[in-house]
Order: sequence, then C-alpha cells, then structure tokens
Amino acid sequence: MEIILLIAQWAIFLTAAPLAGGLITKIKNYLRMRKGPSITQPYYNLAKLLLKGEVVSQNASWIFKAAPMVVLSCVIAASMLIPIFVPAGYAQYTGDIFVFIFILALGRFFLSLAGLDTASAFGGMGSSREMFISSMVEPVLFLSLFAISLKTATTNTEMLLNIPAASVSTILAGAAILMATLAETSRIPIDNQETHLELTMIHEAMVLEYSGPRLAMIEYASYLKQFIFFAIIANVLWPTPIQYSTTYAQLFMNMLMILAKISGIAACVAIIEVSIAKMRLFRAADFLLFSFALAVMATVAAALGA
Amino acid sequence: MDHLSIISHIKEIDGVELLDIREPHPDETIISIRPKDFKKVCMHLHTLCPSPVMMLFACDERRKGAGFSIYAVFMAAPQKKWFVIEMNIAENEARFDSLAKEIYSASLFEREIKEMFGIEPVGNPDTRRLRLHDEIWPEGHYPMLKDFIRTTDTTSVSGDYRFTKVEGEGIFEVPVGPVHAGIIGPGHFRFSSAGEPIINLEIRLGFTHRGIEKLMEGKDPADAVAIAERVEGDSSFAHSLAFCHAAEKINAIAVPERAKYLRALFLELERMYNHVNDIGGIATDVGFSFPAALASAIKENILSLNEELTSSRYLRGVNIAGGVLKDVCRDKIKLLKRALEVAIKDINRLKEILDSSNSFLDRVDGTGILKKKTAQDIGIVGMAARACGIAMDLRKDFPGIYDKIKFNIALEHSGDVLARLRIRFSEFMESVRLIGLLIEGLPPGDIRACHAQHKEGLSLGYAEGWRGQVLYALKLDPAGIIERCKIVDPSFHNWHGLSYSVLGDIIPDFPLCNKSFDLSYPGNDL
Repeated sequence: MEIILLIAQWAIFLTAAPLAGGLITKIKNYLRMRKGPSITQPYYNLAKLLLKGEVVSQNASWIFKAAPMVVLSCVIAASMLIPIFVPAGYAQYTGDIFVFIFILALGRFFLSLAGLDTASAFGGMGSSREMFISSMVEPVLFLSLFAISLKTATTNTEMLLNIPAASVSTILAGAAILMATLAETSRIPIDNQETHLELTMIHEAMVLEYSGPRLAMIEYASYLKQFIFFAIIANVLWPTPIQYSTTYAQLFMNMLMILAKISGIAACVAIIEVSIAKMRLFRAADFLLFSFALAVMATVAAALGA
Repeated sequence: MDHLSIISHIKEIDGVELLDIREPHPDETIISIRPKDFKKVCMHLHTLCPSPVMMLFACDERRKGAGFSIYAVFMAAPQKKWFVIEMNIAENEARFDSLAKEIYSASLFEREIKEMFGIEPVGNPDTRRLRLHDEIWPEGHYPMLKDFIRTTDTTSVSGDYRFTKVEGEGIFEVPVGPVHAGIIGPGHFRFSSAGEPIINLEIRLGFTHRGIEKLMEGKDPADAVAIAERVEGDSSFAHSLAFCHAAEKINAIAVPERAKYLRALFLELERMYNHVNDIGGIATDVGFSFPAALASAIKENILSLNEELTSSRYLRGVNIAGGVLKDVCRDKIKLLKRALEVAIKDINRLKEILDSSNSFLDRVDGTGILKKKTAQDIGIVGMAARACGIAMDLRKDFPGIYDKIKFNIALEHSGDVLARLRIRFSEFMESVRLIGLLIEGLPPGDIRACHAQHKEGLSLGYAEGWRGQVLYALKLDPAGIIERCKIVDPSFHNWHGLSYSVLGDIIPDFPLCNKSFDLSYPGNDL
C-alpha cells in the first residue's frame, strides 16, 4: 500500500507539473485582458518538441548532448525527495534538504556547461548570468529551509509536512523561498520567460541552442522544478501537519488541499509577474539580498522559538 | 542674422567664388560653387546655420554631358531656410573633398555616394560599404549610375566586413542578428563588452536595401507616391507627404487649405499610433505586460479609426501631388472626436500606471543616455534629438499649417530612455490637442488641386514624421518625370545615435534602448 501511495504522489508530481505553468500563463493573460492559451498548452508544446527533429551544433561535445538528461534526472530525483501529501511513516524519505538542493545544483552545473559548450555568445552569456543568480539563490534556500528544520527538529525533507503551524519564522522563511523561487524559475522580476529578446535572457539564453526532444527535456525539467518549489512554499506558508495515522480519505483530502495551495501560489506568482517590471540585471542582487535577509531573520526567529 | 547675411558671409570667404545663387522656392536657397570650394563653404554653413549635413547626395548628369552634380543640404532653422550647395564634377575626375573628418554627419552620406556612384570622397577615413554588402555585391558596379546594368554576378572579391575591434583582457564580442527573434527587420549588431557593460557597439545595416531611389527614377510623380508610401510601413503618411510636398513645389501647385488641414490631421494620427506603440514596446521590453496590453489596445483603436477615415489602417493611398484623396466628412468628424476622447482617457491611465511604478521607472531612468553634444555631432534628428534638449521640429521650424494652430514643441533634457518616453507621451497629448484644433478650423472647399503642366527642377520636400524629419530631394526632367529622388529618413542619422547611447550600459539593457529609439531598418536601407 505504501508503495502505491508513494507512486501516486510521484505521479502527481510528474503529470501535474506542466499544468502549473499553464495556469500561470492563463492567469497572466486574464489579467492582461486577453484570452490566452488553454492551461493544458504546455503538454501540447512538450509533445510538439518531442516529435520534432533536432539541430545540434557541430562544435558541441558530449556535454551538450548529455546535459538535458542529467538535468531531467536530477530534477526527477529531487522530486522523489519532497513529500506533498504522503507523510513519513508510509514512506521513508531518505534525503534531507541539503541533498535536495545539491541535486538541483548538479543539474544546473551541467546545464551551464552545456551553455558554454557550443561556444555561442548567447550560451556563454546565459551561463554566466545563471551562475550569478544561483550563487545568491542557493544560500537563501539553505538558510530558509534550515530555519524550518530548527522548528521541526529534523533536516529530513519530511519536515515539510511536520510544520506544526504558521509562525513568524515559517512565514519569513516562506517569503524568502518565494523570492528565491521567482529567480529559480526565471520569473519576473529576475528573468522573463515570455520575452523574445535574447540579450535580456538568463535561463533561456543558456538553453537557446537546444531544440526538439532535448529542449522538451529541459522544459519539462523546468516545469517539474517549478512545481517542486511551489509545493515547498505551499507547505511552508500554509502548513497543515499530516500524521501517519491519517485515513485514506484524509490522504485524498490532503492531496486536493496541496493542489489547491499550489494553484494559489501559481496565482500569486502570476499577479506578481503582471504587476511589476523586470529588474535591471544587477538589481537582482538587491532583490536576492533582501530575500537572504528574510531568511536570516527566519533563522533567528526560529532559534528564538518564534 | 537673416539668410541674406549668411549668403554675404559665404561670399566673403577667402578665395571662394559663388557661381550662382538662386531661390526657386521661398524656403530654399541653392548656391552653386566650384568643387575646390566645397569643403570651405560647407564648413562655414555648418557653423553659421548651425546645422549638421541634412542631406548629401549625387546625381548622374553624364547624359547631359555635365558629369556629376553633388548637393549638400543644410537647414537654417531660425531663418526658415534650406541651403543647398550645388557643385559639378567632371566624369573623369569623379571625386570630391570629404567633409567627414570635420563634419561627422556627412560620413555616412559620403560612403553612400561612393558605393552608389563610384565617386570618391577624398579623405573619408571609413572606406567600407554601407548597404551593398561586400559578400554579395561585386566591385565596380554602381547601381545609381544611369547606365548601370544589373549584374547576376554575386561573387565577392573583398572578403569580410571589418568591424571595429576592441582588444584587451576579458573583452569579448557578441554578434547579434541579422536574423532576430520577433517580427522586426534585419540588422547586425556587434557588441564588444567586458562582462556585461558595453564597450562598443557597431551596427551593420543594409539587409533590406531594395533600391528604392533607383525605382523612383523614370516614374511619373503621380505613380511614385505609392513607392514613397512603401519606403517604411510605419511612416507611410510622412513619406508620401514629403514626396508630394517636393513634387508640388516643383510644379507650383497650390494645395487647397482643406487638404493642408487634413494632411496635418493624418500626420498627427500616424504619430499617435506609433508613439503609443513604442510606449507599449518599452513596457514589453522590461517585462511589464499590463501597460503593454493597454497600449496595444489604444494603438488598435487608432488604427481602426484610420481605417474608418481613409480605408487604410496605415494611411496609404491618401496623399497625391496636389492634395488628398480622402475627405473627412461631418459624420466622420464625430467619430474622430469620440475616438480621441477615448484615446486621451486611456493614455492618461497608461501614463499613471507607468509613472507610479517604481520598478518600471528604475529601468528607464538613466538608461541609454545620449549626450546633447554627441547628438549634435552625429546629426540626430526628430524625437530622439528633442529628448536630449535639441529643440528641432519641422512643425516649429517650417510650420506651414501649424502656424495657425499654435504648436507646442515637446522637449526633454536628460537624453535617456525616460526622456524619450516622456517626449512620446507629450507628443501624443499634443497631437490630440492639435487634431481638436484642426477639425475645429477645418475650412470648406476642395481637397485636391488639379494641375496639368509639368515643370523641370529640383526641390526639397519635408515632413515631420513621428521619428523625425523625413526629407525628399526631388529632381524632375522637363517632361515631369523623376530624374533623381533622394530620400533621407530620420533612421539614417539616428541609428548611429543608438550605438552611442548604449555605451557603458549593460547588454541586457540594449533592447530597451533600441526600443526607445525604435528606428526603421527599411527607412535606413532604402
């Protein structure tokens, strides 16, 4: 039974991830007085890319070809570590938050190498910017998740379902993670997923050389990563502790609950994206520094027991 | 100083002999000089007016046995005069003294003359081609010569284009284009940067060169209006107006008052839809999508209005030498008034949204500064010039009908993206006000003057389009057929301004600077 629950949880991750992206696009367009594509559009896009042929630069080495697989595997592995509605006890989550962050970092490392690999100007530019942004995102994630681990007395990822109630420290940590997530998922104000302007891109510039199935892998990995982060934020900002003794009906309710919470986070992100302009590249440092300050405050608050 | 004292000043220059001075039209003075005085006279006019080289072009007169004529045009705004320097050079001595080192704004024109006519500007340090790319255009073929025969040979002899090279530790080049993402024209941008800050930007254009000036030759001016309208899609009306203006001056056609009012009205409508489009574009480029959506709604309203008034969204097929073809009747005036009320309400809302957004202002304030001195040296015109404190606007300098409806020039001094954005907002509002006055004072009567006789001559036509002044120099032969038509779009000067305005800014801010100028590829490439 346990294994079925775990597989169900994992299947939700894998299938629902693009939906969150589609939902954000839909809400953004609605706010801009437009109709916008259906929220299932990301699936069609992925299918289209999978069926397409692929152009690979003659200068590309094995890194370029392997990177999408590495990235996708890393993100899928990370998704297995994050509980969303199946509490510990049904399953043993065998990793802690540090493993989670470093697995994602491994994927990013390969993607940055791939950006440099084809020696195109954009790839290099994108990789350098991505590294610049991640060097500030990772400390924020470490510190804010650490604050939560102080509250729950464990660094195992099961802590996400153990947060007793919203408190000063979890709200501060949640806000910090939300800001870091905007950067991590290349959203405004750090990056702009909708732009066609290569020179302004961060993440997109790095993967500009990819096409066809490999691009589909990278895009799918981005959706999945985004979904993971939304799930973390949802559980941190609005904790609903789940115990082992919960009934199946309760588990099902948990599942609906987490999906509703994730939709709520997606709506927030959409509203943020529509209501502000993208920042100047180097201003991203200020933005992420602010989120780092929030994370520090969260840690202090957690240490003080708030 | 009036224009006569400028002329007498030139007469007194040491060793200069003026062959002829004539005033075929009240706003033009043509001064014929000897080739060896060319540089001296031009440099004096440049400082006396003061004006950059507004136009510099050649004309092939070898069929008349007169070699080549070269014309340099300067604008004396306070005197409301255009000074045209004319000189004749022999076929076997196809060269002239370059002005480029002293008057930078002449440089591009000289390169153009060299590649189109094979006339050598002696002393121009930049010998590269402008529009006929080395990669596909063989040497020794000069398309603007009257006896040019099109060649199918596209073998290059002269290798790659030489970009300015910046060297040093950590400097790398970012080539962008000519094919871009999005629906825009082709142009190649070569950035040299150290990290993100831009050290140098070189822009290579000419990819949409269609030979418009050559196409014009041999056409009847009535037919050529359609070509002028298609030089540049978003300035169709300004181009056809400038062209018609030149043709009307040569043929001495008195345009009816009503037509003049209507032309000003359409010109302002063209300005409005383009300005609001760019405001939206600037918002899009910084990822601020809500105001961008509002701006595109406003633009669409104006385009629909254009269609209602003229049955063309981009105001084509309206102008003709002698007047306009589309009248605005009483019903349509009502429609126009209602549309303007909506537009002014929407634009105020748009302005409020942008002005109250810190994240937006942070992006545009202080980005892409073009210094006034640089702008003057390059010869920046129009809206971009007004954003750096240069008060030039043909509607003020050569008002015509704008004299009757007191026109207020928009002016900003900081020269950054924000300044260009503010110019757009104030010009949009001013346009709404002007249109209000125009329909109030719209006189009854004909909208088109008939004319039969054809005259020979050279004349300048001009109109202040939304980017800046659109200049046409038209030369008709005795049968009234176009012998030479030189077009100078504001983009021709202003692309150069863009490459200076981004220096020191970071690469990701380039698209924003670019959009704030919003220059035309086809208008530059012709």
